[in-house]
Amino acid sequence: MNRPPMLMHVKIRGERRGFGLWLPLFLLLPLALAAFIILSPLILISILVFWPRGWRKRALHIFGAVFEVFNSMRGFQVDIQGDHHCIYISAI
Amino acid sequence: MADNKKKVLEMLAQNKISTDEAYRLLSVLESEGSTSEDTAKSGTAARMKSKYLRVCILSGSERGHGGKGDRVNVRVPMALIRSGMKFTSLLPPEARDKVTGALHEKGIDFDMRNLKPEDMDELLEALSELEVDVAGSDGETVKVFVE
Repeated sequence: MNRPPMLMHVKIRGERRGFGLWLPLFLLLPLALAAFIILSPLILISILVFWPRGWRKRALHIFGAVFEVFNSMRGFQVDIQGDHHCIYISAI
Repeated sequence: MADNKKKVLEMLAQNKISTDEAYRLLSVLESEGSTSEDTAKSGTAARMKSKYLRVCILSGSERGHGGKGDRVNVRVPMALIRSGMKFTSLLPPEARDKVTGALHEKGIDFDMRNLKPEDMDELLEALSELEVDVAGSDGETVKVFVE
């Protein structure tokens, strides 16, 4: 099992202005948990609606795959440098 | 390897060599065998160790004149590629048919329905030996490799 990324560094620089952001990804899990609790009635309704259609298994697979992709993002880096612009994204 | 050992034992049985010589020959053969196994294991380990797919693009002016020009540097973890490839199994059958049809139209005879997890592992293992190095006439370079 891979360790999930803790931080994401996003830096974008244009011709005149730019900005840099450190996104604390480790805070995403508590936020996701909070969102899950808040949205749980809607999730329950959607499960009941889609249960007869056989979507349950696919939904579980998608949830697992998204979680795995998030966990595998540590080390991902995109660095594009031009004459007047710069885009830098890195998951640490 | 086993044939060589048999030959040594046959020579010993025929009294062509002494027991000491047979022992020495057998130990040499065993050490050679273990060395080749170690080499194979280290090769596999090196492949398993590869962690990132790197794509580096340098424009011609970047290389030629004091850092002016475009530069792209992308590093993708192999684990991310592996996880991403698992999404293909989540595609609905209709979407898979569409992808297969589109590929067929482009002359690529590839059916996504036949893609199994074992094939993906094999593909990723083969990817660890990938190395693309393109140099353009204006000095631009494209490098794709696994590190």
